[in-house]
Amino acid sequence: MGVTSLKAIGVVAALSVSALSATAYAAPTCGADPVVLNSYFETGFPLPTRLAEEFTKQFPNVTFDIKEDQFANLMENSPRVLAGDNAPDLIRLPSISDLVVDGLLKNLDGYFTDFGWDKFPASQLVQLRINESGRPRGEGSLYSMGLNYSLTGVFYNKTLAAQIGMTAAPQTLAELDALLEKAKAAGIQPIQEWNAPNAGLAFPLQNLMGAYGDPTPINDWIFQKPGATIDTPANLQATQHLEKWIKAGYFPADANSLDYGANMGQFIGGTGLFLFNGDWESGNLDKQMAGNAGFFLMPPAVAGAKHAAMSAPLTYGIGAKAKNADCAAYFLNWVATNEEARKINVAVGGSNPGGPPDLPIPAVAPGSVTEATLTAGNVLAGDNGAMDFIANATGAIFAEGWTPPLQLLVGGRTDAAAVLKAVQAEYEKQLAR
Amino acid sequence: MSGTATMKHTSLGAFAARGILVLLMFGTLLPFITMFSAALAPSGTYPPGLQWPTDPQWGNFVDAFIAAKLDRLLLSSITIVAFVVPASVLFGTMAGFGLAKLAPRGSQFVYLLFVLGLTLPLEVVIIPLYYEMQWLGLLNTKFAIILPLIGLFMPFSIFWMRAHFVNVPAEISEAAEIDGANPWQQFWRVQVPLAKPAVLSLAILQFLWTWNSFLLPLVLVEVPLERTMAGALGAFQGQWGTNIPLLCAGSLLILAPTIIIFVLFQKQFVAALLQGAVKG
Amino acid sequence: MTDTSMPSLRQNPRPRNSRRGRGTLVAWLFIAPALLFYTAFVLIPISMTAYYSLLRWNGIGAMQFRGLQNYLTVLTEPDLLTTIGNAFQLVLYFTVLPVGIGLGIAQVIRTHLGGPFGTTARTILFIPQVIPLVAAGIAWSWMLASNGVINQLLSAVGLGGWTRGWLGDFDFALPAVGIIGAWVLLGLCTMLLVTGIAKIDPTLYEAAKLDGASGWDEFVNVTVPGLRQEIGVCVTVTVIAALASFDIVYVATGGGPGGVTNVPGLEIYRLAFAHRQVGLASALAIVLMILVIACILPIQWLMREPRK
Repeated sequence: MGVTSLKAIGVVAALSVSALSATAYAAPTCGADPVVLNSYFETGFPLPTRLAEEFTKQFPNVTFDIKEDQFANLMENSPRVLAGDNAPDLIRLPSISDLVVDGLLKNLDGYFTDFGWDKFPASQLVQLRINESGRPRGEGSLYSMGLNYSLTGVFYNKTLAAQIGMTAAPQTLAELDALLEKAKAAGIQPIQEWNAPNAGLAFPLQNLMGAYGDPTPINDWIFQKPGATIDTPANLQATQHLEKWIKAGYFPADANSLDYGANMGQFIGGTGLFLFNGDWESGNLDKQMAGNAGFFLMPPAVAGAKHAAMSAPLTYGIGAKAKNADCAAYFLNWVATNEEARKINVAVGGSNPGGPPDLPIPAVAPGSVTEATLTAGNVLAGDNGAMDFIANATGAIFAEGWTPPLQLLVGGRTDAAAVLKAVQAEYEKQLAR
Repeated sequence: MSGTATMKHTSLGAFAARGILVLLMFGTLLPFITMFSAALAPSGTYPPGLQWPTDPQWGNFVDAFIAAKLDRLLLSSITIVAFVVPASVLFGTMAGFGLAKLAPRGSQFVYLLFVLGLTLPLEVVIIPLYYEMQWLGLLNTKFAIILPLIGLFMPFSIFWMRAHFVNVPAEISEAAEIDGANPWQQFWRVQVPLAKPAVLSLAILQFLWTWNSFLLPLVLVEVPLERTMAGALGAFQGQWGTNIPLLCAGSLLILAPTIIIFVLFQKQFVAALLQGAVKG
Repeated sequence: MTDTSMPSLRQNPRPRNSRRGRGTLVAWLFIAPALLFYTAFVLIPISMTAYYSLLRWNGIGAMQFRGLQNYLTVLTEPDLLTTIGNAFQLVLYFTVLPVGIGLGIAQVIRTHLGGPFGTTARTILFIPQVIPLVAAGIAWSWMLASNGVINQLLSAVGLGGWTRGWLGDFDFALPAVGIIGAWVLLGLCTMLLVTGIAKIDPTLYEAAKLDGASGWDEFVNVTVPGLRQEIGVCVTVTVIAALASFDIVYVATGGGPGGVTNVPGLEIYRLAFAHRQVGLASALAIVLMILVIACILPIQWLMREPRK
């Protein structure tokens, strides 16, 4: 009796210790009860929906209630939606600084520890950190997670490229200029870019900025570091170069009334040689322009110099008032670590799925656009040239800062210097609020 | 008919008049025709203007119906109308009667207060309404639309019904009083039956305004299925706006109930709209 | 109980003194529900807007009193003044076009609107009034697109040089929005004026003809004065629609490009809910309310029938 009871006590003790440690180190899960994740995603990006479908397959008790909206509406609606009673569990967040200041986003530091996200390369998460006061970004607590790590560059139509004798990707900015001129002379639309309702021309502009200068000052400006300015000599050269392209008629004449979807429709339909966009379209282009689409990183101004391009996660956050925060965090972790999820990420999202570097990147079809963008991602990482999107510097910088002057630039009603000055002025005004 | 016009004048004038009307009608219908032709194009494409598609995709309408959850949307809008219109008409009629016939002291001031609300742009009150609904815990529910609409419709309802009651001869009230009826009985047994045409016109106008209300649902209700049809159309455009054929199909489906009801009851509608504008 | 025995009641239909107390209570009971809803959802919100307009508040955190600072901003900041200017420009399209064209049409067709043709015309011309403004915005956005019907028509009549993306053009976006509004309101104004013109005594026209008046003289001296009431109504309805516009602009241009179609209604919504500047938004709202009243009062005053 005594031995048994001692054993029993021992067993109980052992069990309780393991139980204690289990609760102490168990990461949050979605549990076994039915959960509905209230989700607010961006129209035209099938990746999160596909990931959600796969997640429900693997965890049948979790379903998603997905509402989608276009980028401009998303930016406009997110403060209100997050402050309301029905705050989303998962929300696509183009910009987080304003939302953090108002306490609308959940601090993810706890999940960082629970899920062991310190195993992810720190540079992947840098853009997702922000100081509690809202600025600067790049340091402080974690407030959002990416589903993958995109980059931007230049897509091209292989058929049209062959028509003007383009055999290899341009290695310098001058070579790119030459190709554009050839296209124009051949009656081909050189660049297919949208500029409504938000300025898609920010893509070629930022690529040009990366071609001309060091990405660090640009990142500082985006992260709202004190004293940062976008109006630098290198950026002025980049903007003037963009102005040159506009004046030469390389952009569509109706760019100011062309929206993202319509523009993609044109490019896929065969209009336009080059398209400045991000690798989130790789999966789409591999499907709709199979074998006919290519990609190259923006070449630098000087031959052999380092590449710099916008490379940012498509960020998602969890509402501070979300009802199913733990399950949402579990989903975000699953996206980065689950094998099936990573495959979908690459196939549909076209981008590097991020996550721990010891997990393999799923294979892609050779010769596909996705292969090209993934390879480019490695080059960019090697050159340490990742920049966040200049349109994400503040919650409203895209709509109020970049879009009006870039639309005016396309309309020929302003010049490059005025564009940068206007944006810097709007930036400072918003930061002072 | 103009009796003094000569036969030549009449036929020429008639021809010109009809010509102009046909032109106007064409201009009015053109947007719908274009939407219809776009709705039949293959989903996800960008059809060029007005062009009858070679392979009409009638399925787009089915897709749009499912995507917009039109059946639940219809139910939601009908529910909202079912609350707003009877309440607003009832309260407006009661108050109109009170102000016109019973006219207690100080009611002139109250009437003026209501009239001031006739020109009020909705944007002026939308911000506090949001916080008020939040405080009441009604955000995202149908009642966030129903309650404010009733309040916002009061100026017009009262204006309309009071105008009617003022024109009802006093003898009718007197006769009822002498018969021993109290004001409440007077109201229901005598005045309301007399007011039927005015009440019907009012109900039609308020049905339209409720059904087509957009800004209020946009701000106060996130869930598209709890909104009005017009509010849901905004959400539909947000979600599917890049798919033109689907957007056009969905828009036409969302418009269909209003247009069908309008065509069926067009006489009453037109009379109501014209009177509504004149009295307003 | 004949007329002669109760003259006072006839002229002054109020309950008699002895019953006034109870009568008053009952009367107010009739008025109460309406007053309750109106107070709760209109009057109180208006005063709250006025209160917010004196603050600096982001809708969630602390409120800071600012006095009339927001009003100063509204009246001096170029972006906000532009929205007010745009609203008045829209009045040109929403009001002048429908009323002007409506008058012309009414004059021409005044006697030809009978029969089933007339009924059909009336029904069709009213459809824009029946559909939500959002739908009008969507339909016209599609028509005004670079590859839309309007450009198709222009090319077809040889004006191909004029084709463009209308709603993205700096010069033509606001007029394009104006045209959408004119389309919505034209049917209403035309019908109103046609109905009104039918009420004008035909003998006035005959008399004018006998005096040798031309069509234009007829128009100026008989039609327009006779339609005073209806014109006043058209102008009132359309001016309010223009100044308070939201739905159409939101859907068609979102205020762009570069803010050239931004209107106060849209700006209030953005400032309050997207930029979280509730104080400034409220100040703009109050300014809008005052503007609308300031425009409508003179119209109503002009519209009064002169005492004969």
